[in-house]
Amino acid sequence: MSAPEGLRLGVVACAAASGLALAWQLWRTRSFGLRPPRAAPAGSAWRGLLYAFGPGMSPAAKESTRAHPVVYALGVSYHLGIFTAIGVLARLTLGATAPTSVPRAVALVLLAAGTCGGAALLARRAGSSRLRAFSVPDDYLSNLLATAFVALAAASLLAPAAAPAFLVASMLLLVWTPLGKIRHCLFFFAARGHLGRHYGRRGAFPPGLGGRTH
Amino acid sequence: MTDVDSLDRRLERLTDADLARGLDIFRERLGAAGAAWLQTCVHCGLCAESCHYFLADGETASIPAHKLEQVAAGFRGRFTLAGRLAPALVGARPFDRALARAWVEAAFGRCSTCGRFPYVAAVLRAARATLTELGLIPADLQQIVTTALETGNNMAITREDWLDTLQWIEEETQTAVGDPAARIPVDKHGANILFTVNPREPKFFPLGLQASATVFHAAGEDWTVAGEGWDLTNYGLFSGDNAQAGAIARNLLDSMERLGCRTLVIGECGHGFAAARWEAAEWLRQRPAFRIISFLELMEEYFRQGRLRVDPARVTDRVTLHDPCNLVRQGGVSEPQRAILRRCVTDFVEMTPHGAENFFGGGGGGQLAMAEYRHQRLQAGGVKAEQIRATGARIVAAPCHNCIDQLMELNREYKLGVRVMTVAEIVSEALVPPAATPAKESHEPAG
Repeated sequence: MSAPEGLRLGVVACAAASGLALAWQLWRTRSFGLRPPRAAPAGSAWRGLLYAFGPGMSPAAKESTRAHPVVYALGVSYHLGIFTAIGVLARLTLGATAPTSVPRAVALVLLAAGTCGGAALLARRAGSSRLRAFSVPDDYLSNLLATAFVALAAASLLAPAAAPAFLVASMLLLVWTPLGKIRHCLFFFAARGHLGRHYGRRGAFPPGLGGRTH
Repeated sequence: MTDVDSLDRRLERLTDADLARGLDIFRERLGAAGAAWLQTCVHCGLCAESCHYFLADGETASIPAHKLEQVAAGFRGRFTLAGRLAPALVGARPFDRALARAWVEAAFGRCSTCGRFPYVAAVLRAARATLTELGLIPADLQQIVTTALETGNNMAITREDWLDTLQWIEEETQTAVGDPAARIPVDKHGANILFTVNPREPKFFPLGLQASATVFHAAGEDWTVAGEGWDLTNYGLFSGDNAQAGAIARNLLDSMERLGCRTLVIGECGHGFAAARWEAAEWLRQRPAFRIISFLELMEEYFRQGRLRVDPARVTDRVTLHDPCNLVRQGGVSEPQRAILRRCVTDFVEMTPHGAENFFGGGGGGQLAMAEYRHQRLQAGGVKAEQIRATGARIVAAPCHNCIDQLMELNREYKLGVRVMTVAEIVSEALVPPAATPAKESHEPAG
């Protein structure tokens, strides 16, 4: 087995372990009690769910992000970079052919923006006494791992020699994902889904109809 | 528990077994959704400027993410692998006396009913439940719960005083509407509506009760109040003790079953509405077999059915509207009160922001009941005071009695020069009364 093949297998193994650990955490979290609501609904859980994952995600609907457009933009670019890097990792791990010039250019732009976004958010945390007051080491470590992942994905596209470093960074990220705050990649969907159903039933989502009797 | 029984002493008395039990209680109360929320916050800190406590005091401890982090640290220490293996790395802490004190400050010392960052309220309520079970609840908050459990209402109003007050208000209503047939029926079996009341109305704000009676009279409603089990408040929502909250909620449900009414109407009270409409079914583990609505929803129905006639020219002062957290953000009732006010006044202006994004008044979440946090409560209310001042309104409509108490205090503290009224009081002022009819029934309670 060649070194690149070994690294690719290592990534697959880490991804599998990470997936299993996340699944176990989800099961364990469910064991806290699902508690289907008993009160008669005033609205639709489904409409609330669609709102929570749709218009409710836009800055127009989210006061906290609307008030902080720069940080919101950094967060969006960071996450777009991460998703792009996952695509690059999948391609590299599966041994797919190299992307054509246009997708490659788009990917590089997204990865560059993601790297900048991640680095800027890290600098924001380090530079803000308010944020530092409730930050824990994991906040910095998780950011560093994810930002390095995105940056090395870009490097691997530009120079194949960087691919091994990208694969190593990917393995570290995958191992840390179920342990640190990156596990919000799973719990975000669970929490957001609950939010939509909860406030949908109460008629608070989508906003504007709240409490109108029909 | 007494005033001299300080938090320090109560913390000191906790044994290791108590502290270990604390997290078991927390786990039981948190549920899967709460556990998911605790693992979702990434400490971005964008919530800070949306919190009126932080806007008022600028303290890190007021940031919702910081409050959540106190609770999450204990959660991680017990319930996550990384928290057990590398606590310092992930910010996990053992649930010891120091962390219990931090929970008290986070869960009781500041606003706990945040609807902007949903589920913060539910997580903090689980923390409150834990602290209550460990005897760390502020004594004055628990006293209100105890009074409600022992006397049937949170102000220990006797049945005799309640009935006397109703009779007095009934006579006042008859005079005000010019109709000797206007009544406040008590314990009327089979009535369409059972109307429930915040004890503050008979005790301190009888005009609020009179306004409600006037609206029912104008709408020609078949309604009643209960001689027992009439208090809509439920401070168990704030203490987090589900058993006690359920026992208090049971009073209203028992009244409905005893009287055989069709709809339970919750008077203007934010937490009372949330408790009866949304939480009682969970506490009692059964869905009530009848409709439960807010008085605001009912009044809007009356308007749509053409049962109320109003003349907005009777209320020409500028009116603005406060949005109680438990009614609007948590309860889903945001539009009826607006529709009503647009019909009843000539100059209605919204606050900025308003609706689900409106700032919390500061009196809810049990804050009004906890004297030790009065300074923070009034300081945080400065944000609301400036919101009100910016509208130029002379009247603030507040469909919640805790909010009314807080707004009246803010009115004095910040010299706002406004009148604080319930929505029913404004409707009552705008009403064009129906023609009087002769009296035909006595006041004596039925059954």
